[in-house]
Amino acid sequence: MGNVNDFKFLSERGFQGLVKGLLKELKVYGTIVKDGFPAFGEISAPEELVLSSTPTHLSAKEFFFPQREVLLKFNIKTAAFSPVIESVDQAIIGMHPCDIRALSLMDRVFAAGTPDPNYLSRRSKTLIIGSDCMPDDYCFCKSLGNSEAESGFDIFLHALGKGFLVRTGSDKGRAALLKYAKLRAPSTKEFREFQGLCLKRDSSFKAKVDAPPAELPSIYAKSDESKVWQKIGAICTGCGSCNNVCPTCYCFDVKDEVKASLAEGERVRNWDGCTLEDFAKVAGGHNFRKTRAERLRHRFNRKFRYLSSTFDSLFCVGCGRCSRACLVKINIVEVTNELVSECHNK
Amino acid sequence: MDAKEKPRVAFFSFTCCEGCQLMVLSCEKELPDILSHINIVNFREAMTEKSDDYDIAFVEGSISTKEEIKKLNKIRKTARVVVALGACSSTGGLNCLKNRYSMEEVKERVYGKKAALSNRHVQTIPARPIDAVIHVDYYIHGCPIPKKEFLSFLTALLMGKKPDMTNHPVCVDCKMAGNICVFEKGISCLGPVTRAGCDAICVTYGTWCWGCRGLVDDPNINAHEQTLKRHGLDPEAVDKKFALYGNCKSSNKCLTPKK
Repeated sequence: MGNVNDFKFLSERGFQGLVKGLLKELKVYGTIVKDGFPAFGEISAPEELVLSSTPTHLSAKEFFFPQREVLLKFNIKTAAFSPVIESVDQAIIGMHPCDIRALSLMDRVFAAGTPDPNYLSRRSKTLIIGSDCMPDDYCFCKSLGNSEAESGFDIFLHALGKGFLVRTGSDKGRAALLKYAKLRAPSTKEFREFQGLCLKRDSSFKAKVDAPPAELPSIYAKSDESKVWQKIGAICTGCGSCNNVCPTCYCFDVKDEVKASLAEGERVRNWDGCTLEDFAKVAGGHNFRKTRAERLRHRFNRKFRYLSSTFDSLFCVGCGRCSRACLVKINIVEVTNELVSECHNK
Repeated sequence: MDAKEKPRVAFFSFTCCEGCQLMVLSCEKELPDILSHINIVNFREAMTEKSDDYDIAFVEGSISTKEEIKKLNKIRKTARVVVALGACSSTGGLNCLKNRYSMEEVKERVYGKKAALSNRHVQTIPARPIDAVIHVDYYIHGCPIPKKEFLSFLTALLMGKKPDMTNHPVCVDCKMAGNICVFEKGISCLGPVTRAGCDAICVTYGTWCWGCRGLVDDPNINAHEQTLKRHGLDPEAVDKKFALYGNCKSSNKCLTPKK
């Protein structure tokens, strides 16, 4: 919850002024209402922003790792090629603690090994403005120990009945506030209101994982033969929505698209997903993960086990988007809890 | 490249609206480049000349008369490569809706009582995809086909690359487009079992996936039937949903002749 000195008060009008100021300098994306649901989208005026208390349909990863991007332009006839890095100065408003945590994981993935210049270029040009949330039936970040955003943002907004309490997380954030917003110290009443909202949020989580996060990698390691995989494999349609809505799924496919001239072309990167049938198919048609059960087991293990040794962190942030998007109701918390209970009964 | 060395390409049309040929013709920007690589020798919608000597045949439309079976067999004998162009050709398409009724009933519905009694003019048989009659080398799906897919298929073929056929469900294309899931909006669709490659344009422009591109290689039909039922569709409505385009290759209730 922090100390009162860590916060400043920003009025509604002050916030509008901040957004207006940013719009002059940057491309601004934020939470909007799309077909009645919270989603990220580009905004051109502060009124278009609707800070959402529940997670957006898709995560914010598309602003750093777009669904489709050109990596290279080439010409087969002349053997010429040139890399393409498309990035602009941008701000993203309304990322929740789970989204901010996910972004910090993505930062590590795309910087590891051969650093990804496209991702890193976008990331360095982005101002992150986080905002508060209230858990719905699927949110379980608290179970994974990351319900509070301590870092990874430039500015963080805690909405009150009127106005916001604001924290800054970087010099970039401080500079933006200094330039475009008038801040003052919060009153005792305002800070109490904030404390009340924090307590309310903290006690509102319905979905809970029945084991501490540190135990999850070893629980998953013991669950390769669990019947759970066959059970959920039987109802999965392999639609890949869990991968695509996930803020930490970063797999992609790279293809060369040649124009009708048969000379010029583009090397394109598209999102890919491990629950899709062709994901582990290799030349000659062999598929390393033939069944939907195997593919789901792989995905769950990527979130709770495989990457924990490489990056020393779980790769699930508890946003619940996969469960929310799943049309056959495969629920990441329920699946994990079944494995926890199987392990405890062994 | 010498003009004689260019592959000779023919377009044929059977029972359909000819909209897929129109999609080929609408590649206006690319046509000059395309024509520098191939010789089009047969294309009723675009030219009067005809030739019986061709290497690649693009076949549009489903097969719904005995006469069409004969013509299609001849195309298979002549062409080295046969490509099914669009939904009618690749899955049977909308035409297969008539297969749910007796052919007499169908004739009467369309042509009136007299036609129903006549065998001279209306010799219809149950509609079928072209692979129910001949071997098909490649499929370009959709109602109509997407331009983008036709062009990437043609360039792959001309470069000797394996054409890339999408095998993921429409849900992927929907997420790529940033759409809100239609099920969230209280509508139902066939996206989770339908082959993508269409950029989910139907959902993007406000409707839902009708399943025009047929099913993915390994669809989980049972699971999706359960999803549709959970969203309030009764068994008959579920059946109808699949029947519009996809039923022809999926359900045992389907009367469409298969491979």
